[in-house]
Amino acid sequence: MGHEHRCRGCLSRRQCLQFISGAAIAATAASGELAGAAPAVRDRGAQSVDPASLRPAPRVRVAAALLRMPTPYWLGWPGTTFDLDRHSRQVHAHIEASRRALGIDIEVADQPIQDEAGLNSLMQRVAGSRPDALLVVLQHLACWGWVDRLSREVKVPLLVVSPVGTSFTHTMVGISRRPGVYVVSSLEWPTVEDGLRMVRAKRMFEETRILWIHGNQRNETVLDWLGTRVRQIPRHTFNEWFDREPVTAEVRDVAADMRRRARRIVEPTADDAVNAARAYTTAKRLLAAEQANALTMDCLGMVGARLVPTPPCGAFMLLLDQGITAGCEADLFGATSLMLTSYLLGRPGFLSNPVAETAKNLLVSMHCTSGSRLWGFDKRPAPYIMRDHSESSLGVAMQVLWPVGDAVTYVRFTHAGEVAVDTGKVVSNVATPPAGGCRTAIEVAIDGVADVRDVLPLHHQVVALGNHRRVVRSFCQLYGINTIHSPAAAA
Amino acid sequence: MVRTWLSCLAAALLAGLAAPGLAQRSTPVPTPGLAPSHVDAEGRLVQDWGTLGIALSGEGVRTGPPSVSAVSVAPGVPGVRVVRDGGVVALEKAVFRAPVWPAGLDVVTVRLASNTGRDAPVRLTVQLPQGARVGRRLVTLGGRALVGLPESPTPVREVREWGHWDEATDLPGWARPESESDPAFRNIRAGMGGVPIAYRFSVQPGAAANVFLGFCESHWQAAGQRPLVCQVEGAPLQEVDPIARWGVHRPGVVLFAARDANGDGKLDIAVLPKPGAPDTNPILNAIWLFPAGAAPTADAVVSGRMNALATRVVDVGGPGDQALEAAGALLYDLVVPSAGMELTLLVASPGASVELPGRTAWTPETLRAAAARVMAEWRGPASR
Repeated sequence: MGHEHRCRGCLSRRQCLQFISGAAIAATAASGELAGAAPAVRDRGAQSVDPASLRPAPRVRVAAALLRMPTPYWLGWPGTTFDLDRHSRQVHAHIEASRRALGIDIEVADQPIQDEAGLNSLMQRVAGSRPDALLVVLQHLACWGWVDRLSREVKVPLLVVSPVGTSFTHTMVGISRRPGVYVVSSLEWPTVEDGLRMVRAKRMFEETRILWIHGNQRNETVLDWLGTRVRQIPRHTFNEWFDREPVTAEVRDVAADMRRRARRIVEPTADDAVNAARAYTTAKRLLAAEQANALTMDCLGMVGARLVPTPPCGAFMLLLDQGITAGCEADLFGATSLMLTSYLLGRPGFLSNPVAETAKNLLVSMHCTSGSRLWGFDKRPAPYIMRDHSESSLGVAMQVLWPVGDAVTYVRFTHAGEVAVDTGKVVSNVATPPAGGCRTAIEVAIDGVADVRDVLPLHHQVVALGNHRRVVRSFCQLYGINTIHSPAAAA
Repeated sequence: MVRTWLSCLAAALLAGLAAPGLAQRSTPVPTPGLAPSHVDAEGRLVQDWGTLGIALSGEGVRTGPPSVSAVSVAPGVPGVRVVRDGGVVALEKAVFRAPVWPAGLDVVTVRLASNTGRDAPVRLTVQLPQGARVGRRLVTLGGRALVGLPESPTPVREVREWGHWDEATDLPGWARPESESDPAFRNIRAGMGGVPIAYRFSVQPGAAANVFLGFCESHWQAAGQRPLVCQVEGAPLQEVDPIARWGVHRPGVVLFAARDANGDGKLDIAVLPKPGAPDTNPILNAIWLFPAGAAPTADAVVSGRMNALATRVVDVGGPGDQALEAAGALLYDLVVPSAGMELTLLVASPGASVELPGRTAWTPETLRAAAARVMAEWRGPASR
């Protein structure tokens, strides 16, 4: 059975192969002298797991309709001069482009809705087919009463597009702040596409099974609000699989590529790179075997117990860059926060510990695992320096160099029903040494917070490149998830 | 005679020996690897906190023996069904484990239908462990939320003169007031998970009163973390940030000119988190109700010197605090139609508590769907 790769937000198979094959020249060097903790297991010709097959690719169904008043228009917005036919054609063209770009099904009603009977019929269709969302495009100011009714009675998320000239602020403001609703009052179609991405992201959460690798239990549960399945598996599973993971051609290629792409290599040896690559292929294989799409594991516990020769930091960067959420320290809501940047924003995040830099009044965000494709999965990666895991001086952990001066967004699920959102600007990358802590470290000026000590004291906030506050808050509103942010002035 | 007596004794001993055997005739509720619960031979759901049973009473009600069986209680959802002949009504109870993170919860659906072809009035009793407290939407025991109640029907309640009627938690000794103050400031109730703290006092219809709400913040060191919104009936809303107003560990009070605005003979007070607050768990340390004419100073109220003049002093979360509803059984007076009716209870499984209904996205429908989805693919460890 053929597998259709619907997702447009991650590396394609071809890109993935290019990513790996680009390292072929360096492969020989990496597979040469393997001493010390070098893996003894030989290549047994194991099949490679295509990372694209691990990223959730749900079917997303959106119903759509245009809402208008009977024509011809006379007084009242948008007015007689508004070219309805042209606007309708533009909307259909936009919808078709979004359908192709996002890989979602959008079924547009054959005829515009222009009376109560049509509205009732639309609502019945939605109730019967239960799409993942309803998208309505307004073509008259008088349609807001229908939008009000839809927002109360339709039991699916509602996306409302009101081109400029079809609403006043006071007609849309109340509805635009209701849970379950996303209102775009604009001529900017990309903002509408943001809403469609929200719907797709929610479906990706629902289709995801995350491996929660810690303790010694095996069970499966489902997260409130998100619908994500959580399969807990015993911690020893990972290191046992790692021990049996052979040094395949893929492992050698990935290790070589990891080294080739590094701006500088400080501590890690070639063996360390091979082990990091084995951790990467182990993770992929385990995910595939468990029919899972993401993982978070008790990595520090495994390192502390010396069960693995390398922390998974380097491997996790590769997974994050390929759209596969790989989270640290079995922090489940840290991992769901990484999923949020991956599924909604189309880019990897950086799960980090917060440090208050009181001399500069900046927040330092530090950890040993950051994605490098900060601008998006299909964009060029940020440079990195190949380091070891700072706390243990083991294995491979990248210092990803974030672009100074760029905006960033912090997200953190405090629980499944609440997300903390802040934004800021990267001021510098912090080197270790002189700093201690973790390898990737960025100084960030947090927006709207007078004293950095007042930034929400949340561990493992996830940083994503770009200011996405509006999109994240809108996503949360659409799905009834509460949002909080740091207080502006707490003292 | 002696032989008869000996026979009875032997029978009793045998019954005693058989008792553990009866207990073993329990039927496990299937789970995807989570701690199990059981339905015993009497049809009661057995948890680590005790048992939950359903009993019917009323005219024409008969309590027949239960039939307990492991079945699919919904498409793809394995569970346990209990069927009991109730005389004028048929009683069926279905139990399944919803795999809600982290430990799951058991969903108990009670279906009743009149056997007489007309409406049948019955009293349904949910049998709970001794000491369980029935709140508006939760049954709790020792601070653990055991049962989530549906919005309707509403249980029969015995209501006191005053008390809290919320889902907040008593935290005695939580606060560390550093200045001389009434001992009530040491204790709080906290609305964990953002639930409001709510009190109701019986008053003369339309009566006015001066209400002081007392606060002492002992967790946060900086203002802005736990701003609160205070609603006192008949008075304007007030926002209070205890640290901004009085400092860390510093007790203070806020005055409200309260009035029974809707004339129902009840004065309602609530403390809620301010929308967008970083810490959404509201707290409250003390309440004073004074006659409308009495206007003591804030300092005098904080010190406790004016307690004798107060019509009510509530040591919120302290030993003298009480729930509005008296403890007791969970009772429903129902009129059962022949078409039938359902009552769904969400029950804490071993090691877990239930969420306050309304503060979760789960519904009986989505819980069933989650169970079907997980159980369909549940299997043992993968192998390489």
